Amino acid sequence: MRGLLPFLAQRLFRALIALWLVSTVVFIVMRLSGDPVPLLLPPDAPISEMERVRRELGLDRPLPVQYAVFLGNTLRLDFGRSLHFREPAFTVVRGYILATLELGLTAFVLAAAVAVPIGLLSAMKRNSVLDHAAMALALIGQSAPTFFLGILFILLLALKADLFPTSGRGGWQHLVLPALTLGAFTMASIARLTRSAVLEVLRADYIRTARAKGLGEAVVVAKHTLRNAAIPILTITALQFGTLLGGAVVTETVFAWPGIGRLAVQSIYNRDYPVVQCTVFLAAVMFIVINFAVDLLYGVLDPRARAG
Amino acid sequence: MQVTRRELLKGAAALGVAGALPHALPGVAQAQTTQKRELVVGQGGDVSTFDPHISTSSNDIRISFNIFDNLVSRHPDGKLYPGLATEWKLQGQTTWAFKIRQRVKWHNGDPFTAADAKWSLERTYDPAHKTRVNTVFTSIDRIEAPDPLTLLIHTKKPDPLLPARLAFYGGQIVSRKYFEAAGADGFRSKPVGTGPVSFVSWTKDDKLVMEANASYWGGKPDFDRMIVRPVPEMASRIAALLKGEVDIITQVTPDHNDRINANPTTRAVGALYAGLYVLAVNSKVPPLNNPLVKQALSLGIDRDLIVKELWRARGIVPSGPIAKGDNHFDASLPPLAYNPKEARERLKKSGYRGEEIFIETTSGYTANDKPMSEAIQAMWRDVGINAKVEVLEYSVRAEKNRQKTFKGLWWSDPTSTLGDPDGMMWRLLGPGGPQDYWRHARWDELGDAARFSVDEKFRGEAYKEMTKIVLEHFPWIPVIQPYEDYGMQKHVDWTPNPNQAFEIRRFNFKFRRA
Repeated sequence: MRGLLPFLAQRLFRALIALWLVSTVVFIVMRLSGDPVPLLLPPDAPISEMERVRRELGLDRPLPVQYAVFLGNTLRLDFGRSLHFREPAFTVVRGYILATLELGLTAFVLAAAVAVPIGLLSAMKRNSVLDHAAMALALIGQSAPTFFLGILFILLLALKADLFPTSGRGGWQHLVLPALTLGAFTMASIARLTRSAVLEVLRADYIRTARAKGLGEAVVVAKHTLRNAAIPILTITALQFGTLLGGAVVTETVFAWPGIGRLAVQSIYNRDYPVVQCTVFLAAVMFIVINFAVDLLYGVLDPRARAG
Repeated sequence: MQVTRRELLKGAAALGVAGALPHALPGVAQAQTTQKRELVVGQGGDVSTFDPHISTSSNDIRISFNIFDNLVSRHPDGKLYPGLATEWKLQGQTTWAFKIRQRVKWHNGDPFTAADAKWSLERTYDPAHKTRVNTVFTSIDRIEAPDPLTLLIHTKKPDPLLPARLAFYGGQIVSRKYFEAAGADGFRSKPVGTGPVSFVSWTKDDKLVMEANASYWGGKPDFDRMIVRPVPEMASRIAALLKGEVDIITQVTPDHNDRINANPTTRAVGALYAGLYVLAVNSKVPPLNNPLVKQALSLGIDRDLIVKELWRARGIVPSGPIAKGDNHFDASLPPLAYNPKEARERLKKSGYRGEEIFIETTSGYTANDKPMSEAIQAMWRDVGINAKVEVLEYSVRAEKNRQKTFKGLWWSDPTSTLGDPDGMMWRLLGPGGPQDYWRHARWDELGDAARFSVDEKFRGEAYKEMTKIVLEHFPWIPVIQPYEDYGMQKHVDWTPNPNQAFEIRRFNFKFRRA
C-alpha cells in the first residue's frame, strides 16, 4: 500500500496546475471581451480622456507584459486595484467571501442533512408512499428554476406567512430562504443519488450475507450499507458544494445577498478585470480545496483509492 | 396514497395564485403613521464610490447629493434654490458672484468656507484628481475666494447656466482639509460632507448606514438613521416594500404600480423624468441621411399605443427634443403625430427601396427598450419600412457609444442635466458631442449662440428654431417622456425629483407621525 505523503504531493501538484490554468484562461478571456474604459467614464468623455485612463490602468502595455505582471502579482495575492471600486481587488472580494461561505455552507448542510436520510429511507422503504412523495419532491427540486423557487418562497414564506425577511443579510432568519432556494437542487440531487446508491448496495451479496448472519437491520444499514454507499454520495455532494459556492448568482440576486457570484457577474459587466480575476481565482481555490479534501476522505474511506 | 403528477401541478398552481394575491398580506391594518426613527431605502443597485466627483451613475448620486451639498440646489419642483450659497448674481457678462452660507460645518466639525468651494470646483477639472466630471465646468476660466463668504467665478464667455451647472453632478462640494488629510482612498471610503446625512458604515452590496446631521443648516432630517439597501431584483424590492421592511424603493417599473397601490399600506409615486427616451439616429448612413425617411420613421410610430400598452400610461408623448419641464419647452407644440398614410407618402417621395434599417437595442439598459424596439419594428413594417432589431449586451453598447459606431438607430435616455436644452440636446447632439452623427450649419450656429447668451428671450427664439430643425431632420426620434416611479409606505411624505436625485432634506421628506 502506498503512503499518504506521495499521494498528497501528487494531488497538491495537480491543484497548483489547475490554479495556473484557471487564472490564465480568465486573464485571456477578460482581455478578449472588450475595453473597460468606456464604462468608467461618462458618455460624453473625450478620446484624450479615454487614453489617459487607459494609460493610468496599464491597459496600454503589450499583453505579454500585462500577463507577466499579472502572474507575478497573483503569487503575492495582489490582483490589482478594482477599476470600479478603486480599491485593492482582494479587499473587495474578501468582503464577499464570508457571505458566500455563510450561504453556501448553510445550503449545503441543510441539503445534506435533509437529503441523505430521505434518500436512505426512500431506498429502505422502496415503492412506499414515502418513497414516491420524496422522489416527486426531488423531481420538483431539480426541475424548478431557482428564480421561480426564490420568488415563490418570498411570496409564500416571507410575505404571506410572515416567517422570514424577504431579502438581505442579517440574522439566521435571513439565511433560511436563500439557503433553501440555493440548496433545493442539491438537496434533490443528493436525495436521488443516495437512494440509488443505497439500493445498489442493498442488492450486494455481502448485505445478503450480513442479513443471513442474523445481524439486526440497524447494524446492516449503519455498518455495511452506508459505508459502502458513501463514496458516490460523497463525490456528488462535494461537487455540489463547489457549485453552491460559485453558482449562486440567481439566488444572490433574488435575495440581495452580497456574495461572490453576483460580484463576479457585475464585475464582468463592468469589465472590472482585477475583481473578476480575483473572484474566479478564489472560487477556483475553494473548489480545488474541496476536491482535495474529498480525495483525502476517499483515502480514509476506501484504502484502494490511495493507489489511484 | 399515490401522488400523481397532475395533483402536484395543481397544488403548485394553487400556491402560486395565493402568493400573488396582494390582499393576502399580513399587517394590513397597520396605521398610516409611524414612530420610526430610521429611514430604509431599497434601491436597484449599490453605490460604487462615495467620492462625488468620481461617478455620475444614478445609484451613486442618490447618495452623494445627500452626504454633500451643492452651492445651488435644484428642488423637485425643478427650480433653483440656495444651497451652500445663499444668493448669486451675474456681475457684468462673465463673473458670477456667490454669497457663501455662514456657520456651516463639515461632518467632522471643521468650518466650511468659500475656499473649500473654490478648491472643490477646481478639483473637478484638475487632471491630477482624475475625476469623472471634468467636462461639467468647461466654461469656467478661474475662481476666486477673496474672503470666506464670497466666491467669484469667472467664465470664459457669458454662461447663463452656471448656477444650474453647480446644482448637478460635479457641483457637490467636498472639504479640502479633510480630503488632504484622509487621502483619496480614505475620502472615498469614509466621506465627509456638509449634507443632511453623514456616513457611518458601508458593507458592499449589503447595506449603507448614514446618520442624520443634527446641526444641518437646513434642519435635522426627520429621522436618526438612514439605511440604503441594494435590492437588484424588482420582485424582491416590491416584496420588501409590501412587507414593510423598507420605507421607499426606487426604480419601480410601470407594471408594478397597481400592485403597490392595491396594498393598503403602500403607494406608488412618480415624477415625470427630466429627459426623454429617444431613438437616436446615425444620420450619416443611407437611407437615414435622407430627412424624408426619418420623417416617415417618426410618423410611423404609434406613441400613444406604446405609452398605453408598454408603460401602462406612465409617460407622455413628447412634442420635440425638449423635455417637458425644461426651460424653453414649447407647450403650444402638439405631441408627435402617428400618421401611417403620410409615412407611406414620404417614404415613396424619398425613394426608399426597402433598405434594412437597424434598431440596436439592449435588453433592460433603459426601461422597456427591447419591447419598444419590437413594437416599433412591427409598426414600421406596416408602413413599408424594413426594420431589423439587434440586441446588444450593455458593454457592447457602451463601446459603440464611445466609438460612434451605431449602425442605424439606438435607444438613448438623455437626462436634462441643467433643466435647459443646453444640458440635453446641445450637450449630446452638438458638434463633437457624444451623439455627433448629424450636422446642420444653422442648428449649430443657434446652439452655440444660445449657450453663451444671457438674453433668455434670444435663447428662447433660438431653441424654437432648433426644435423646428430637429423635427424636420430627426437626429433624435423622441418616443416617450416616462415617469420615474418609486414605491413607498403611506407613512412617508416625500416628493421624487425628476432628475433622479434623491432629496431627503427636511423641506422634502418627513414621516407621518401620529
